[in-house]
Amino acid sequence: MQGFSDGITGADLAQLQSTMHTIEVACTSIQMQINPTAAEATILSLSQSPQRYKACQFILENSQMANARFQAAAAIQDAAIREWGFLSTEDRISLISFCLCFVMQRASSPEGYVQAKVSSVAAQLMKRGWLDFTAAEKEMFFYQVNQALLGAHGVDVQFIGVNFLESLVSEFSPSTSSAMGLPREFHEQCRTSLELNYLKTFYRWARDAALSVTNKIIESDAAIPEVKVCTAALRLMLQILNWEFRHDTNSMKAGINVFSAGVRRPECVLVQPGPAWCDVLISSGHVGWLLSLYAALRQKFCHEGYWLDCPIAVSARKLIVQFCSLTGTIFPSDNGKMLENHLLQLLSGILQWIEPPDAVSKAIEEGKSESEMHDGCRALLSIATVTTPFVFDQLLKAIRPFGTLTLLSTLMCEVVKVLMTNNTDEETWSWEARDILLDTWTILLVPLDGNGGDAFLPREGKQAAANLFAMIIESELKVASASVANDDGDSDYLQASISAMDGRLISYALIARGAIDVTIPLLTRLFSERFERLHQGRGIIDPTETLEELYSLLLITGHVLADEGDGETPLVPSAIQTHFVDIIEADKHPVVVLSGSIIRFAEQSMDPEVRATVFSPRLMEAVIWFLARWSHTYLMPFEEAANCHLSHDYEHQHQSIHSRKSLLSFFGEHNQGKIVLNIIVHISMMTLMSYPGEKDLQGLTCHHLLHTLVRRKNICYQLVSLDSWHDLANAFTNEKSLFLLSSANQRSLAQTLVLSASGLRNSEASNQYVQGLMVHMTTYLVELSNKKDLKSVAQQPDIIMSVSCLLERLRGAASAAGPRTQRAIYEIGISIMNPVLLLLEVYKHESAVIYLLLKFIVEWVDGQISYLEAQETASVIDFCMRLLQLYSSHNIGKISISLSSTLISEAKTEKYKDLRALLQLLSSLCSKDLVDFSSDSDEVAGTNIAQVVFFGLHIVTPLISLELLKYPKLCHDYFFLLSHILEVYPETLPQLNSEAFAHILGTLDFGLHHQDLEVVNMCLGALKALASYHYRETCAGKTGLGSHAAGQGNLPEGIFSQFLRSLLQLLLFEDYSPDLVSAAADALLPLILCEQELYQRLGNELIERQANSTLKSRLANALHSLTSSNHLSSTLDRVNYQRFRKNLNSFLMEVRGFLRTM
Amino acid sequence: MSDEEHHFESKADAGASKTYPQQAGTIRKNGYIVIKGRPCKVVEVSTSKTGKHGHAKCHFVGIDIFTAKKLEDIVPSSHNCDVPHVNRTDYQLIDISEDGFVSLLTESGDTKDDLRLPTDESLLKQIKDGFAEGKDLVVSVMSAMGEEQICALKDIGPK
Repeated sequence: MQGFSDGITGADLAQLQSTMHTIEVACTSIQMQINPTAAEATILSLSQSPQRYKACQFILENSQMANARFQAAAAIQDAAIREWGFLSTEDRISLISFCLCFVMQRASSPEGYVQAKVSSVAAQLMKRGWLDFTAAEKEMFFYQVNQALLGAHGVDVQFIGVNFLESLVSEFSPSTSSAMGLPREFHEQCRTSLELNYLKTFYRWARDAALSVTNKIIESDAAIPEVKVCTAALRLMLQILNWEFRHDTNSMKAGINVFSAGVRRPECVLVQPGPAWCDVLISSGHVGWLLSLYAALRQKFCHEGYWLDCPIAVSARKLIVQFCSLTGTIFPSDNGKMLENHLLQLLSGILQWIEPPDAVSKAIEEGKSESEMHDGCRALLSIATVTTPFVFDQLLKAIRPFGTLTLLSTLMCEVVKVLMTNNTDEETWSWEARDILLDTWTILLVPLDGNGGDAFLPREGKQAAANLFAMIIESELKVASASVANDDGDSDYLQASISAMDGRLISYALIARGAIDVTIPLLTRLFSERFERLHQGRGIIDPTETLEELYSLLLITGHVLADEGDGETPLVPSAIQTHFVDIIEADKHPVVVLSGSIIRFAEQSMDPEVRATVFSPRLMEAVIWFLARWSHTYLMPFEEAANCHLSHDYEHQHQSIHSRKSLLSFFGEHNQGKIVLNIIVHISMMTLMSYPGEKDLQGLTCHHLLHTLVRRKNICYQLVSLDSWHDLANAFTNEKSLFLLSSANQRSLAQTLVLSASGLRNSEASNQYVQGLMVHMTTYLVELSNKKDLKSVAQQPDIIMSVSCLLERLRGAASAAGPRTQRAIYEIGISIMNPVLLLLEVYKHESAVIYLLLKFIVEWVDGQISYLEAQETASVIDFCMRLLQLYSSHNIGKISISLSSTLISEAKTEKYKDLRALLQLLSSLCSKDLVDFSSDSDEVAGTNIAQVVFFGLHIVTPLISLELLKYPKLCHDYFFLLSHILEVYPETLPQLNSEAFAHILGTLDFGLHHQDLEVVNMCLGALKALASYHYRETCAGKTGLGSHAAGQGNLPEGIFSQFLRSLLQLLLFEDYSPDLVSAAADALLPLILCEQELYQRLGNELIERQANSTLKSRLANALHSLTSSNHLSSTLDRVNYQRFRKNLNSFLMEVRGFLRTM
Repeated sequence: MSDEEHHFESKADAGASKTYPQQAGTIRKNGYIVIKGRPCKVVEVSTSKTGKHGHAKCHFVGIDIFTAKKLEDIVPSSHNCDVPHVNRTDYQLIDISEDGFVSLLTESGDTKDDLRLPTDESLLKQIKDGFAEGKDLVVSVMSAMGEEQICALKDIGPK
């Protein structure tokens, strides 16, 4: 390399100076916004100029312009990372030491960002060479850094040293490292090496640097330069403690419970450095020093240069909080003694930040910064993360008459009080404090063992939880009644408010369950007070405030009593199962009392008069939501679940079992269950019919409540025997008001009713039931389509509405098809095949109806196809093809004309949705080959699915323009189908006509250059399938893709030649994700084998184009070893693919760096 | 679900009711609605409540299907809205006259000569270009509430 210190001749100097000038001018013009593109190009060219390193170093040392120096540093980084492979060891070392010397020598420079950049360049280069440098070489660099940190060269150099280590650590940490175009293993190796060999040393250096200036800082009253060093050192220590330690193999909480992991916030990262760190972090009195440093700083907050949020105070506090998360094998196994001492030491330091809570909150309200208080809360959160509730509570007892839980509860009560008094929508300090403290409770109370056993709270802790819950309820009720006044409509949807509050509600529920025997009666009392108030004030007082309070109470109670199922059937929370042991009579059980009172209240909504005055749509939404959540857990629970769960743990507590049993069976099939179910069905029917136009409420009823019910088989048994359920089914077929439901609700209701058929005795009864449910609709469609004047009648708005409505219902029913009802649904579909085609014709301009038609067919085929016998399959496929042809004949060559660009783009979107549906239809047809339940296994009469799907694709592809492929979902579906077909049935491809063939390959080429990784992957897969098919066939002496591969007519090159070129171009010269390399290798290998001659030619061309002779030979060698190393053969088996993947990977690493830039 | 109460005549736009009442809550995106006396295509529907414990109302954004003007309306979702009867008929394009009219061939073999070409330059160009290339063109004519306009063009190609 052109070493910088070598003598510079005059001519060189002039050259360098002119380069510097050019760069400076470019930097200025970027700042002034004069022709920025050209200036950018100039700056970029610096890293590729012939004398790049020399020029950059010259600029760094001589330019007066900070920006130019910054760009020069960036250029060094860019060039060196790219060319690292051919730099000699001396060059590499000299580049790094140049950067290091540069920052050290100019340590006092005011342009910090240039220093930081150069420092990070040094760090990055050091990492790039990390695995190549010898220990002695590394030692040399680190000696220099260590000297700086020791303070031998003054405070500024000390600061720079710390700064460099910061860059280095962040470069080695996987989440913050910069990309170098190297495989992930490289980063992993660097990470491991640093963690094992250097990290602790760095920490010690940082600590020593901080220690060396501590006394000066404490003694001086004003801000002194040493503060900067200390802050940086604290930051570095924090950064090191944030390292994701891997090599502490047997850590305590290594297997974090998957069920509770979701609740844990990422902010409480556990620090688990392992036993080797004990001496530095624990036993050396390090924490004591840190706490006393902060205590000393606190004294100084009144002085100039220090305040609560000054950088050194912030860093110190963050480090203290980080120490609270320390856990794992760093603590010896001494029953947690050392951990407790460590935490107690920290806690006693932190107490000053948060105690006494009322005084702290008052001071903040009066203008003190809240950050110390927040950090105190975070420290509690961290401590809670590494301890059990019991240990957590005990900690404080050593120095206070009460436990930590009590402190936590008082602190949070104080915060909630503040929230209550100044209730605004802005995020105040109390919001954040509340969220942190709620997280703390959650961490403490969430069951850790994953078997549902709630964390056990000590007695005093229970009292604390009870107090806190009462306070929370009071505050939530106050917020609720106050919110009536400021009514800002839109943000108040139930789903929105539940999900916004959900995290909070879950924590509230955990707190309430911590003291369940107090909180359930409290909730019961609060409800009955409000029921009473409504009852007495009816018609006299405006009930809105009470309604809003009830709304909140319902949400909270729903969370306390039951868990979200997430698709599973949630059990009764174990806190509720294991408490209330002294309850003998089931109807006195507090949970039964509470549930009963809410259900009785809900039942009052059946009375039209009460409904009009009390049950507003919003309150009704909360009622329905509560009923859905409640019934999922309590209504007719599985008997076995009731009997076996927990029994081995609590066998000795007979009484407890008795009470639990009585609670579980109270709402069971043989007790009150049927009555309650009947009430729920009545209420559902009422919301659907008596709240016209309330989409949200009806949506909740359909999607949430009714859906929950029919998902459980034992409830279905009961449902189909209820008169009320038959009333609902009757109303569904006959009642006009149910035709007014919104489309999604229509669909869901149809689905629900069909699903409930699973409760009937046998499939005959089920099919009959479904038929009875749907026969009116099919008859209507058949009659309509038989009308002579269908064309004009169909366009009437009311007919359009009825048709849409029926199609939605049919779609809902089709999606509910199960083995038992499949026959009935099949017959429904068959009976309206002709009407569907007729409607497709008459509604060809009514895109909304067309979409519904297609969606129904898609859903129906998807549900049916795997059950169908050969004969039936043939007729269904025939129908689908007619449908596709008809659709395509309506849409090919059609142009919408409208003045409005919105309408034009709507029309495009509609087309996109249609096509997506059609692709789904083809995919479902494809699945017949994979999943087939039909009885005739011989393929005699069977239809050739491949042919059919290709034929379908043939019809559909002309409609799919490259324009439409810009819709990500359509694009995804299309390439999914395409790659599937090409992989499974490559042999049918040659049968396509050349136009369709060209179109398909055109889209494949488009997909190869797509941004979406998955799309490219699918295209590569398709390509691999095609090429390997062709190669195998030709090897076996067959034609393979025949004329397509050879090229014909206006295409002189065969398809494989084109793709070989295009893929090589992509791999060598374009941007792509490194994750694609393996898939690309799999596609490239068969392509090369198919077109060996062309490949040779392309390789030679590449080599010829290379002017530089070293690079030329490098490229030639690389190309040679790509196809010859690792014993690569010309077969297409697994081993060979794997070898080629390896070869391609090393080939790209070798040559891409220079091919892309030169 | 019966339709005997609706009368219709074979000539779609003469005599048949121009609008139909329909509950606001059931009108969906991509449907039609009359806003301020104009037939519109609905491009956006949102619902909100009147007051916290009040009833739902629908907010419609529609685009006038003839003039492309944007119109908005808010209706309680249980009330009725007017929905226009939008009819579309396909005709084969026979000729474009100099004075801005088109000549169309009806299904029964008559010609229809009373329809003006759109005045907008780009739309006009699309139609004229297609016609000039000598393609067989079918135009769809959309009519509602006494107005009509060409809304789509389709090349049925040389068979």
